[in-house]
Parts: sequence; C-alpha cells; structure tokens
Amino acid sequence: MLKYIFKRLLIFIPTLIVISFLAFGLSKMTPGDPVYAMLGETSEISSAGGYAHSQQVYEETAEMLGLHKPVFYVTLSSSAFPDTLHRILQRDHRKNLVKLIQQYGNWPQIDHYYQALQDFQASFYEVDLGVPSNELTKVGVNLRRLFTVYEPKVIQSRLDTIEQNIQQERVLLAELGPGFKTVKDAFQDILRKPTRWKLYLPDIKWNGWDNQYHNWFAGFVRGDFGISYKDKRPVSDSIWEALQKTLLLNVLALFFTYLLSIPLGVFSAIYRDSLFDRTTTLILFILYSLPSFWIGTMLVVFLTTPEYGMNWFPSSGLPHLPSDASFIQRFWAMATHLTLPVFCLTYGSLAFLSRQIRSSMLNVLQEDFVRTAYAKGLRPQRVIWKHAFRNALFPLITLFATIFPSLLAGSVVIEVIFNIFGMGKLTVDAIFDKNWPIVYTVLMLSAIMTMLGILVADLLYAWADPRVTYGKKR
Amino acid sequence: MRERLEQSGRDQGFWARVSRQFRANRLARWSLRILYILLFVAFFADFIANERPWYCKMDDETYFPVLWQYGEGLGLIKPDARFYNFDWRGADYQAVVFAPIPYSAISIDDENMGYNGPFEKQNVPSWRFHHFLGTDEVGRDVAAGMVSGTRTAMLVGVVAMSIAALIGIFLGAIAGYFGDNRFKISRIRLILNVLGLGLAVFYGFSVRAFALAEGAFIVEVLKSLGICFVILIAVNLVAELLKRIPALGSKVVIPLDIMVMRLIEVINSIPGLLLILSVVGLISRPSIFYVMVIIGLIGWTTIARFVRSELLRIRKMEYVEAAQALGYSEWRIILKHALPNALTPVLITLAFGMAGAILLEAFLSFLGIGLPPEQVTWGSLLNMARSGFSAWWLAIFPGFAIFITVTVFNLIGEGLTDAIDPKRSK
Repeated sequence: MLKYIFKRLLIFIPTLIVISFLAFGLSKMTPGDPVYAMLGETSEISSAGGYAHSQQVYEETAEMLGLHKPVFYVTLSSSAFPDTLHRILQRDHRKNLVKLIQQYGNWPQIDHYYQALQDFQASFYEVDLGVPSNELTKVGVNLRRLFTVYEPKVIQSRLDTIEQNIQQERVLLAELGPGFKTVKDAFQDILRKPTRWKLYLPDIKWNGWDNQYHNWFAGFVRGDFGISYKDKRPVSDSIWEALQKTLLLNVLALFFTYLLSIPLGVFSAIYRDSLFDRTTTLILFILYSLPSFWIGTMLVVFLTTPEYGMNWFPSSGLPHLPSDASFIQRFWAMATHLTLPVFCLTYGSLAFLSRQIRSSMLNVLQEDFVRTAYAKGLRPQRVIWKHAFRNALFPLITLFATIFPSLLAGSVVIEVIFNIFGMGKLTVDAIFDKNWPIVYTVLMLSAIMTMLGILVADLLYAWADPRVTYGKKR
Repeated sequence: MRERLEQSGRDQGFWARVSRQFRANRLARWSLRILYILLFVAFFADFIANERPWYCKMDDETYFPVLWQYGEGLGLIKPDARFYNFDWRGADYQAVVFAPIPYSAISIDDENMGYNGPFEKQNVPSWRFHHFLGTDEVGRDVAAGMVSGTRTAMLVGVVAMSIAALIGIFLGAIAGYFGDNRFKISRIRLILNVLGLGLAVFYGFSVRAFALAEGAFIVEVLKSLGICFVILIAVNLVAELLKRIPALGSKVVIPLDIMVMRLIEVINSIPGLLLILSVVGLISRPSIFYVMVIIGLIGWTTIARFVRSELLRIRKMEYVEAAQALGYSEWRIILKHALPNALTPVLITLAFGMAGAILLEAFLSFLGIGLPPEQVTWGSLLNMARSGFSAWWLAIFPGFAIFITVTVFNLIGEGLTDAIDPKRSK
C-alpha cells in the first residue's frame, strides 16, 4: 500500500510538470505587452515626466516581473539569433527585431541599427525649440513607428519622411542630422550585408537555472502566483477569496447530492420496475440532460425578477451583511441566496450518481450472500443497509473522482449566471480583462485539485476493497 | 420457405442484429428521427431562414437569390451591385416566393426592435412576416437565429468529434495493439527519427516563421508540412541503410501503451472547460473553427481508451494471430483486421461526445468567448435572456433546443449501448 502511494506520487510530479509547461507556454502566447498591462494605459507612462522617465518606469516594471531573464532553460533557434535577445525588454521592439533577423540574419548590423535608433530617439527628446514645431512632431510620430516596422520598403519610406522633415528646418538639421545619418547608414548596412545562411544553422543554447519558467514554477510551489494586472494585488489573495466561495458552493452541492442520491438509488433498486423506479429513472434521465446553464438562466429570469410575478428569491450574488448581523439573519441571507445555485449544481450530478448507485445495488442484490441473509431471517432493513449497501459503496468512492472535477467545471457556469465571485467567475472575468496571471494560476490549481481528487479516490478504493491490488498490471 | 431461410440467415449478421435491437428501442428510434430533422435544418439552413426570397421576379427579370448567395460565396457568380445592401422585404416584386422564415439570423428588423414577443402585436406587413419566436433587442428574428444556431451546433459536433475520433482511434489502436513491449524499432531509426523531428520542426516552422506570418497562411503551412515530410522520409531512408550495421541495428522496445496512457492522464487532469476557456481567450480573431479544433484536440481521450481496451482483447484473438503468422505487416493487421472489429464502441462514445461538444459550444457562446460576436448561436441567444428579463422567449426556446439536441444524442448513445452490448447496459 505504502509502495503504491509512493508510486502514485512519483507519477504525480511529471504530470504536474507537463501541465506547468502547458500553462506557462500558453501564458507566454498571450497577446499584448505584460508591462503595459501592469502599468495601465500606454499614454500614462509616455506623458508623465518625459521620455527618460517613462523608459525607466518601463524597465523597472519589466525587471520586477522578471521579464529581463531568459524564458526557458534552453533556447532552440537558429544561429542568427543572439543569446541576449531577451535583454531587450520592450516586447514590441523585440518582436520587431526578431522579424528583421528572420529576414536578414545579420544580428550585429541589426543591433547597430537598433542602438542608432535609440540614440536618435534620445537626442530627439532633448531637442528644445522653445516653440511648438510641426516638423518636430512629425519626426516624433515617424520615429516611434520605426521601432515597430520591419518591411524594408516601409522602413525606407519612414526614413525618407523623417529626412524631409529634418531638412525643412535648419535647427533640426543641426540637432538631429548626425544621429539620423547614423540610423540611415545602419539600415543600409543591414540591407547590404545580409547573412541569411545563419538562419539555416540550428543552435541550442543553455540559459542556466535563472530563467522565467524556473522562477514562475518555483514561485508557484511556494504559493506566490504573481500579481494581478487589474488591481495590482497578489493573485493568491484574489484566488483565496474566490476559492472559499467556490468550495462553499461545491461542498454544499456535494453534500446534497450524496444525501439525496443514496436513498433514491437504493430504493429504486429495491423496488425495481415499480412505478416509483420507473418515474424516478425517467425524471433523473431528463434532469441529467438538462443543461445547467439553461436551468440557471431560467431560474434567474423567472424567479428573481418581478417581471413574471414570481420574485421569490433575492437577485443573484452573495449578500454583503453588516458585521453586527445576528447568526439567524446571516444564515437566512446565505440560505436564500444559495438555494438556486446549489440546486443547479446538485441536480445534474444527483441524476448521474443515483443511476450509478441503482445499478451497483442491483448487482449486489443478486449476490448469494444477500439471499443467505434474507434466508436466515434478518430484517430486510438490516440486509439492505448493512449487507447490500456496504458492498455497493465502491462506485460511490470512485465516482467522487469524476464528480469533483465536473462540479468544479460546472460551478464556472453557475457562478457566472448567479454572479457569485468564485473561481469560475474570477476566471471568466480575468479572460475578458486579459488579466492572464489569474487565468493560468486557476488552470494550474484546478489541474492539481483534479489530480488530488483522482489520487484520493484511488487510495480510498484500495483501502475499501482489499481485493484491489496495485502490483503489476495483469 | 427458402426465402424465409435466406432472410433469417441475413438477419444473423452483426449489424442486422444491432440495428434490429436499436429499432426495438422506442426512445432511440424517436431520437434518431429528431436527429434527422436537426441535420436537415442544419444542412438547409439557408433555405429555411433567409431574408432573400427563394425565387422572385423584378422588372421582368427572374432571380433565385438564395442560390445566388451560394454562387457568390463560392466565387462563381459576380455579386450584383444592385443587391448590395438591398432591402429584400420592402422591394417591389412581380412575383415572389419567400423562405419559410423570411429573415436571416443577422438581418435587423428596425420596426420590431427591443424584445418583441411572439404573441405581442408586431409591426409587420402581413402574417407571413410575423416573428413567430419573437425578436431580440436590436430586432433580429429569434427563429432565424435558432436555425443558424442549429447549423453551428451540428457543425461543431461533427467536426470536433471527427478530429477527436481520428486522434483517439489512432492513439488507442497503437497503444492497445502494440502494448508496452511489442513495438520494436532499430536503435538508429529511433535516434534519427527524434533528430529528424527536431530538424523538421526547425526547417519547416522555425526558419519559415517569417513566411508563415506574412504570406498566405494555408499555402505556407502546406509548404512547411511538405518540408517536414521530406525530412522525415529522408531520415527513414538513411535509417534503412544504416541499420545493417549490427551496433546500430539492434532493436529498442518503445512502451507505446504507457506513453499514450500518460498523455491521456495529463489531458484528463486538466479541467477541459478551463483549458478551452484559457486557450480560446488567447485568440485575437475569434472563429468557430478554433472552437471546433480545440474541442476535438481535448475530446479524444475516451475514444482512445475504448479502442485501446478493444484492441487489447482483439490482439489475442486467433484470426489476428493467424494474420501475424502469415507475415502480414503490423499496420496492415491493425487497419484491415483489428480496427474494423473495434469500431463499434467508438460509435457509442461518438454519440455521447457529440452531446458534450454541442453543450460546450453552447456554453462558450453563452459566455461570449471564442465565437465572433455577430454569429448567432443557441448559446448567444440564451445569453441575451440574462439582460432582457422580459423576453421569456429568449430564455426558453434556445435552451430547449440545446436540451433536445443533447438528449437526442444521449438517447442514441444509450440505444447503441443496449444494441451493441446488451450485457454492458443496465
């Protein structure tokens, strides 16, 4: 048994690592620059305090997020790419440079061009004409675009425009002329000396242990899930709050499911093919097929609004009570608010579970030992609950592993419909807000919970049924 | 007498028995009939609900606007400038035959904006244009939306499950047939294939990243796949030559079963709904296509498990051993002998899987994630009921359609289970 637990835990770790690759990989594919997401609106940083300041803010934020480190332990790319590309913090600049490398393959020249552009930009921000200049603004617009264009024709046309603008005013020519010439020459250099053959040489680079994935995963294990883009709070705080509500909902639903499905399943097995059995089977089958988000929507529409004269339940969401509310008040408020969501969560798994219990009871009731128990004159109650039901328990245990994840997923729907700020609602809201750290943390956590559920079910099963061996597969 | 005997002889076949059993099940029979109706609606959606008439005569000229729509869509007919932004309902016709529902899912009826119910007074020229299932907030016809939703649901179900079936049958078959110790390849071939796969990805995709991002996507992807294919073939040819060297030719066993089962475990550990949500959320240009592919890529595990357990059983059968003794290649045995007998349980999982995929699509569009906002589906219709409480028709009809479709597939699945393996069902 111990050996089995140990073995299961050993399998647990690689699975978790594979899932962490998936979650991390997806989180790196998210659109948009995380630094800007963290800082809020783009205009905020570019306007307040000038160019140098905004650059500094950007870099500090990027370093706080750990974005100045390589992404993964190894990089698999072509030899045209430098191993220091991750040091260019601005995401759109980096992407643009990658596009340039993919076209020409000559990093030294491209790097030179990028440096020249940056120097030119710095000198551009130092120009102070005293009066607003139309030409200067135009140069600024074109210059900013240059960082995000990669097609040679487009770059050339931007450069030409800037050149024209500079030549319009003598002051500009004096201040910016030399810097601009360097940029122009650097760009011509890229075109003149392409090394495309380098693109076809594969190259594997080892980045060391201090990389983004490693730090993310280590942080995750320690319980540090990063910072939410939206409210700048640690993700773990939001998740902890949400988790409590989700767990409350799910534990209640799980409780009612087992409470109702056991008698339903057992009795319909005992009175097999009776009217009771047939009606419950039919009703449960219909319940099983009813999509919970339909029922939930209908309940919200018909029972929580005054529109149809059936405004019996408070409108959705969990109540905010004053702290001095009495226990009765508290209980009543919670109960009325939770009735509908818990009902929606319960009925689907109720139908599923009681059907399983019925079939497993039917199996057991045909066994010899049940007949013997009846024959020796035991009371039917005793035979059913003490002898038969005990042996029909196994599916209840294994089904826990299937029901728990499906409840978690099901509560996504229910939380959204009933406006309960649990894990599901948190995730859906985060997807709409592009608040990615929350999305991938929830993904990881729910995977871990599912795996733990399966593990616990397996262990319980082994514990409940001594016949189950976990040695070599037959 | 003789005919009777022949008849009964024919009835003994496996499929004859399955279909007899299936038809004896009243619920399953009815479900199949409803499924035919749903498929009919999905297939002829453009003819059932369309703002363009089937046939019309204007200015002494005859048009078939619905058919023209197809022609334009396929690029066979040049779009007529006259019908650009044409008001089909208000036009002057000499003769006209409208579709049963004379609205498209996206056509907006300005006269009946703001949740006009089926039984309320509607501002329509005649009963022919009555909105029998009401309208939504901007005045779109709900009945037309339901028809277009049927098409979306069926399309998602069929495509997603086809992808899932392809992956599931392939992985399940190799896992079940080869098990952990029957797949042997020479050492050099293993090494070269791993190397070749890396090179194929590098030359096919990494190097061509620029072309892939800038050029015509489909063409460039096909080119990339072609490069990968050529590299892998070349690698295997080299392996074929080199394996004559004894040190390189010695066999290595690859535990395919464990590998596939681990993969299934990983996928099953991630709550599918959350995975789909977080992948779909990444896509900047939402399309039904991505939803189908993602559902298919996640949904193959049950099929693979079924096929695997069937093949574990079948590979020990005498006819497979006979085929092996005759020296047939392994792939031929799997494809021609083992798989055809393992596919029946796949039918059952496919039926249940369709129900699941349709439910998922409905749920995603209910949340408004993954599908373009202008696409009308059952889920998006149902979602509108959450903001328009007064519109009970938005809460009832789309949900009912989802319920019926899911139930139909579940009942067909149950019926198939009963018919194929009476012992398994209870």
